[in-house]
Amino acid sequence: MARPMVMTLFPDTQAFAQRQTDAQPALSVRNLTKRFGDEIVLNDVSFNVAEGESLVLLGPSGSGKSTTLRIIAGLETPDSGEVVLHDREIEHLRARDRNVGVIFQNYALFPEMTVAENIGFGLKIRGVKARKRAEVIDRLLDMINLSDQRDKKPRHLSGGQQQRVAIARALAYEPEVLLFDESFSALDPHTRVGLRREIRQLLRKLRVPALFITHDQEEAMELGDHIAILNKGRLEQLGTPHEIYNDPQTEFVATFLGSANVLKGEWQDGLIRLDHGYFVIPPHEAFDIHIDDGERVKVIFRPEDVLLSTTLGIAESPYHLGEGEVSEVKFTGATEAVTIRLLNTQLRPQRPQLVTSITQHSEAKAKEFFIKALRSKWDARRVRLSPGDRVSIGLKAHKLLRGDRE
Amino acid sequence: MSAVAYDNPTAVKKKRRFDLAKPTGISLVVLAMLPLVIMPLLSIFVFGFSKGPLHFWEALVNPAAIFSLKLSLITSSVATVCNVIFGVLAAWVMTKYEFRGDSALMIIISLPTAIPTAVAGFALLLLWGPFGLLGQFLEATDWQIMFTTAAIILANIFVTFPLAFGTIKPALENFDTNLEDAAETMGASRWQTFRYVVLPSMRSAIVTGALLTFARSIGEFGSTIMVSGNMMMKTQTAPLYIYARYNDGDVEAANAIAIVLAIISFAIFSLIMIFRKRLER
Repeated sequence: MARPMVMTLFPDTQAFAQRQTDAQPALSVRNLTKRFGDEIVLNDVSFNVAEGESLVLLGPSGSGKSTTLRIIAGLETPDSGEVVLHDREIEHLRARDRNVGVIFQNYALFPEMTVAENIGFGLKIRGVKARKRAEVIDRLLDMINLSDQRDKKPRHLSGGQQQRVAIARALAYEPEVLLFDESFSALDPHTRVGLRREIRQLLRKLRVPALFITHDQEEAMELGDHIAILNKGRLEQLGTPHEIYNDPQTEFVATFLGSANVLKGEWQDGLIRLDHGYFVIPPHEAFDIHIDDGERVKVIFRPEDVLLSTTLGIAESPYHLGEGEVSEVKFTGATEAVTIRLLNTQLRPQRPQLVTSITQHSEAKAKEFFIKALRSKWDARRVRLSPGDRVSIGLKAHKLLRGDRE
Repeated sequence: MSAVAYDNPTAVKKKRRFDLAKPTGISLVVLAMLPLVIMPLLSIFVFGFSKGPLHFWEALVNPAAIFSLKLSLITSSVATVCNVIFGVLAAWVMTKYEFRGDSALMIIISLPTAIPTAVAGFALLLLWGPFGLLGQFLEATDWQIMFTTAAIILANIFVTFPLAFGTIKPALENFDTNLEDAAETMGASRWQTFRYVVLPSMRSAIVTGALLTFARSIGEFGSTIMVSGNMMMKTQTAPLYIYARYNDGDVEAANAIAIVLAIISFAIFSLIMIFRKRLER
C-alpha cells in the first residue's frame, strides 16, 4: 500500500512502527482477492500474523473481514492470493486438512454432544484413544473452569460458558492458528469484558497465533497486538492499536477507530484554507511538507486533542484552529463532550506573502461546521462552558492527509 | 376475542356475556365425530370382546391370523427401513445441492402419496407382472416378484415413498450449517460430519418419519391386494386377512385382527405425537 505523504504530529509513533514486522510470520495472507458475482469483497489484502501474536481484523459489516477468515479456515476459496500457515501453502487444502481452530460467532457447539464430547471431537476425528482424549479434555475443562459441567449438553450452559467450551474445543487438537469470528458479539457486555481478559491471558500463555474478526473497536484495542482496518474489501491500515489510533493514514481509519473531526481544505503555501477560515502550520513544519499549492488536504484531529479557551484570539496550544461558539455541552461522567460551531473568521493570517481575495469563498458562509471536543472533568471544572459561549479553539495534535476523498 | 367484543370495544371491560357459539360449536364437532370416527372405532372393541375374551383369543391365535400379522409387521418394517434410508439420502441431496431439474425431481419424489393405492398396485403389476416391462425377463428365470412377499414390500415402498423424506427434509433445512463448518475445520470428513454431527440432530425427524411410514404401511390395502395375490399363509397381510375373513362371514376372526391393528396404530400414533413435540423444540 502506498503510504500517502503525511505529516505526523502525534507523539511517539515511530518507536511502535519498528516493532511490527521483525518476527517470522506464523500466518501469512498474500494478495487475497475474492468476488461474489460483480461485487468485489476482498481486494488484494495482505497481512502477517507473527508467532504468538494476535491480529484483529476490524471493519464494518461488508468490509470483507468474515470472508477473509473463512478463506483462511478453508470454508471459502479465494479468486486469487495465497494463505501460508507455518511455511505451508494452504489455500488449496480442504478445511479439514488445515489444522486451524475456529471459534464461531454463535459458538457452533454440537448440540447432541456433551461438553466433554464437544471438546474431544477434534481428537476423536484424529483417532486419539479414548483414555488419552479424556486426559486432554480434563486438562482443558480445568483450564476453562468448567470441570463440573463436563457431562452437560451445551444448551444448558450460559453464553459465556458456551464460549469457553468453544475455545477449549478449538484448542484441544492444538491448531496452528486460532480464528475468532465475531466471537464476543452475542455476549452481554459484562461477560464479554471478562472473557476477553481471560482469552488475552490464555493466548499469551499458549503462544498460539490468533486472528480476531470484529466490528467492535474497544474489543480490537484490547485484544490486538496489531489491528488491521478493512473497508470495502481493502486493507486501509495495519499497525499497533497505538499507531492506528494516533497515526491514522486515512480518514476512514481515523473515524472508524475512535471518533475524529475532519476538516477539508486547500493547501496554500504553508496555510490551509479551510471552509471556515485558515489553519496555520508553523513555518518550520510547513517547510518539511511537500504539498503543491492548490492541492486538497484534510485536517484530522481527535476530540480529546481540542483545547478550548475563553480568552479569544490567544490559543493555549501550538496550533490555532479558529474561533467557535459552543452549541452543546454534555457531561458523560469522566469526560465532557462539547460541540462547537466553527465561526467564519475569514481573516487571512499575516505570515504568507501570497494573498488571495477574501471574498472569493463567501459561499462557505452558507455551510455550518461543527467539531467535537472532549474535555476531562478537571478541565470542564476549570473553564465552565455553556451553549452560546464563544471560545478560541486550539489543537494539541492533528494529522494532515492529502486528497479529498474518503 | 369474541364477535361481541369486536363490535363494541367497551364490552371487553364488562363481564363477558355468555357466548352461545362456543358450546354449540364444540357439541357440533363432537356430534359429527361420534358416528364418523368414535363409534366405529368403539364398535370393533365392543364387538370383538362381546363373546368374551376367550373367543377373542382363539380368533387371534389362529395360524393364518398370526401369519398375516407377522407378514404385515415384516413387510412394513422392511419398507420403513428402505424409505428412511432413501428419505435421508433424498433430503440430503435436495437440501444441499442445486441442480437442473431439482424441482421436477421434488415433484416426482412427492407424487406417490397422491396416487390412488389401487393404481399404484396396478402399475407395479404392469411393470413386474408376467407380461410387464421388466417382468417378462423374470418370466424366464426362477425369480418372481409379483404375488410374493417382495411384491408387498415393493407396494409398501411405493405408497409410503415420500413420508420419511417429508419429515427429514425440513429438519435438514433447519440444520445450522455452522455446525458442519465447525466439524470440518476440526478435521472431520464429510462422512464423519454427517455421522457425528448431522445425523444425531435429525434423530427425532428420522424416528417420526419412520413411524409415519410404518403406520401407513401396516394398514396398506389397495396396492397390496393387487400385487400380493391374497394367498392365505403366503401373501396375506393383516388388512387382507380382515377383508377375507369378513367376506367368508367369519366376523369374529376379522374383528380380532382389526383390534390388534387398531392397537398397533394407536401406539404408533402416540409415539408420533411424542416425537412431534420433540421436533418442535
